[in-house]
Amino acid sequence: MKKNIISMEHVSFCYKGAKKGLLSDVSLQVKEGEVLLLCGSSGSGKTTLIRMMNGLIPHYYPGEMTGEVRVKDYDIRTTPLYELAGVVGTVFQNPRSQFFAVDTDEEIVFGPENIGLDPEEIKRRERDVTEEFHLQKLLGRSLFALSGGEKQKIACAGVSALLPDIILLDEPSSNLDLRSIQKLRCVIEKWKRQGKTIVICEHRLWYLKGLLDRVIYMEKGKMTKQWKGDVFYTLSGEKIRDLMLRPLELNPEWMDPKGENVQGAFGKEKREGGKYIHFKNYFFTYKRHPYLFWKKRPGGMEGKSLQLNIPDLSIPVGSVVGVVGPNGTGKSTFLRCVCGLERDCRGEIEAYGNTYRGRRRMGLSYLVMQDVNHQLFTDSVASEVMLSMKEKDEGCCEHILSNLGLLEYKKKHPMALSGGQKQRVAIASALAAKAKLLLFDEPTSGLDFAHMVKVGNLLEKIAKEGRTVLVSTHDPELIAMCCDYVLSIENGQVSSLKKVENKLQWKQ
Amino acid sequence: MKRNLDPRAKLYMLFVVSIIVMLSATTPLLWCIRTMITMIPIMLLIKEKRYAWALRFFVLYALAMILTFFVLGSGSTGMWKAFLTGYCGIILQFSPAFITAWYVIRTMKVDEFMSAMQKMHVPDSITISLAVVMRFFPTIKEEYGCIRAAMKMRGSSLAGGNVWKMMEYRLIPLLFSCVSIGDELSAAAITRGLGGKVKRTSVVVLEMKSIDYLLMLFLTGAAAVFVFVKYWV
Amino acid sequence: METKKLTAKDFITIGIFTAIWFVVEFAFGMLGYLHPYIVAAYVVLLPLAGAIPMMLFYSKVEKFGMITIMSVLIAIIMFVTGMGFLGAPLIIVAGVVADLIARAGSYKNAKMIVISYGVFCSWICANYFPILVTAKSYRKDLLDSGFSKEYANNLFRAINSKTIALLVICCVLFGFLGAFLGKSVVKKHFEKAGIVQ
Repeated sequence: MKKNIISMEHVSFCYKGAKKGLLSDVSLQVKEGEVLLLCGSSGSGKTTLIRMMNGLIPHYYPGEMTGEVRVKDYDIRTTPLYELAGVVGTVFQNPRSQFFAVDTDEEIVFGPENIGLDPEEIKRRERDVTEEFHLQKLLGRSLFALSGGEKQKIACAGVSALLPDIILLDEPSSNLDLRSIQKLRCVIEKWKRQGKTIVICEHRLWYLKGLLDRVIYMEKGKMTKQWKGDVFYTLSGEKIRDLMLRPLELNPEWMDPKGENVQGAFGKEKREGGKYIHFKNYFFTYKRHPYLFWKKRPGGMEGKSLQLNIPDLSIPVGSVVGVVGPNGTGKSTFLRCVCGLERDCRGEIEAYGNTYRGRRRMGLSYLVMQDVNHQLFTDSVASEVMLSMKEKDEGCCEHILSNLGLLEYKKKHPMALSGGQKQRVAIASALAAKAKLLLFDEPTSGLDFAHMVKVGNLLEKIAKEGRTVLVSTHDPELIAMCCDYVLSIENGQVSSLKKVENKLQWKQ
Repeated sequence: MKRNLDPRAKLYMLFVVSIIVMLSATTPLLWCIRTMITMIPIMLLIKEKRYAWALRFFVLYALAMILTFFVLGSGSTGMWKAFLTGYCGIILQFSPAFITAWYVIRTMKVDEFMSAMQKMHVPDSITISLAVVMRFFPTIKEEYGCIRAAMKMRGSSLAGGNVWKMMEYRLIPLLFSCVSIGDELSAAAITRGLGGKVKRTSVVVLEMKSIDYLLMLFLTGAAAVFVFVKYWV
Repeated sequence: METKKLTAKDFITIGIFTAIWFVVEFAFGMLGYLHPYIVAAYVVLLPLAGAIPMMLFYSKVEKFGMITIMSVLIAIIMFVTGMGFLGAPLIIVAGVVADLIARAGSYKNAKMIVISYGVFCSWICANYFPILVTAKSYRKDLLDSGFSKEYANNLFRAINSKTIALLVICCVLFGFLGAFLGKSVVKKHFEKAGIVQ
């Protein structure tokens, strides 16, 4: 019998300033070498539980805590955080904000240096970790220039270099694409083989199949259900949906529907008023030609060196189009170019009998960013929506808000809302600006099942009202649920545009 | 491993250049010294293979020089000339410090900086805060870029010419994201042992080589000549 | 577990806010190149512009040493960017005094914070020190190093040993005003959003 490495006894916690406690009377034992998944909808207390295991609660996030947490013979309450550094390692959700250093190699050795290890030992560990995670290509580069997946890999390596016995992962796949998620799985597999104790809190479940020893389901601050890992993955689809969890398995057809490539078909009916939106001459490159004082605008001649190379594309008005493709293939770039945020891209949009160029593209289209926090400017939801209107119309504003279920939050500060609500505020201001073409960049990353379904339904609704929606996503579930077409982009070029035949019907 | 300058030598260079920048040049000899000192970071940039930036700085400095001494004579009047003279003056005045600071910040690693500061017995409070300042400039740039993009989409009428509103719309989202990034950043740093009682070690071996001493000696000499010529001759 | 001593988290917060402060100051500092009177107007612009981040800063750390460390960082940055070290003592003294005042109100008392910020703002005058202390040679330097006569004349009309007292008072007064405005913005946004209590 292996002994318990994490033990929580009757733990309750309430964040400072919050009215309600977030955890109530949780007891949990984790055995050495166990791989444990915490699942449940957002706000169920998963992250709080993780924060108690690494000591951020109560040392970093103040609040009221009762009960006892012991991690490998340390009493969490009385052990200062830095003493836990070599014992518990944590990989966080947001790859952008968990770095202290600027370069990759410094980031890997940052932890070991902090706990005062011998430089020779640190170097040995750096070598080991580099080899283990195949980081040779990433060494010596600026973290600001890496993709989300690469950053997350470095974060894992940085944690690994401390050789902790326990590794906690707090929604590590939130900002990753499918390929990076596969790599993340390999990392977790490696840790498991090394006999580390792993606790993962996650919404995406499919990539963890076969790794888990135990699954714990949390609901409103309590642990309500438990399964053995292999049993959990035999649960039926309905059962999982009843639990409001994301699917356990992905159907490859969701991302790549069977239908035929209709990319050329729409082009023929050009200029037939109001039925299609045509994108023309979308060329863009980040890798500018070596320039010193001015840059050259990319044209269609450079071919493969371009990050974006879409000379001609048409999509039907009133449809939801999922934009898929691995990270770094030009999905986000395409969206940014479409709405005119990249000034070097001279693409045109032909729609509704007009041709939109340059800044006018912004009047037609509106991008809801992945990090919606950047898009919220004012101090109340209502004024945020009014800000987008040329002529302030309160009735119209209320109409939009009630349509999106935001009316009760009218007077609240947008930043006080939850992530999903913020997103809807951003959508509301797009609607208020009378945008006809709505672009979404990863709207469901880090969302739980219920919220994802909500977003999906909302996108469908927006499209039904006659607007066109382009949504870039790494969530095949979302595409299966709400998209009429799937546009796959590879190496900056459109590789196919396919119609989705049967949409999945998931009720909320 | 590529051998770079010791971070302490770089910091010393920053120190000396800042002093010289404060004292303005008045005679041709002084201009010579100033120019020489400006060329050092530019040459170092070339060594680091940052050719584009080296060339940009060089052209900027050279242009300001030529304009000041050959095109615009003293006693020039008129709106545009006055402006141009002013700008060239500012470039000549501050660019040595700016170029040096740019070089030092771009090429010094956070790790190097922290161990150099530790060696010089600077307290942790200053070291950690300064390291964060250095790391945070690119983050602010990134965040501000996103906010600008969001503002553009909302249309330029966003603030309607109201200066206070303009500032509010830029500053508030920036502060919100900086605060949340800061919270996450410190949580991640602290769980990896930052701020512990143990003395921090470093894989960076700090060693003053002859090239470092040479550079420091040269800079000291240049500064000494500069001050001597300016105030005693 | 709240301690009175500054922790690593606080150092990071201080670093972040110093970076923001510096960026704001740099943005406004650039305006000074347009006209010398704008240089004199720093005493109005900077206390107002910096108030929003500073008021948020006050409510984020609330420990003794926060402003002192910030002032040391500012002094270092000012020196490195070629503003000289003449102002360093003033910057640091202003920082320590502001810190003490804020502590007297245990970093919660609104009045004390307003006063503290006003005092802190007096460091902005450190920017003028090179102009004052070495007025004569500085003028010559300016002319020699290519500034136009007009610029120099205007600059000295606005900033000299007679006006410096006025400028300091301006800094402090606009610091007070900025603090009030900043406080209201913090209340309007950050308290309403629940970021600070």
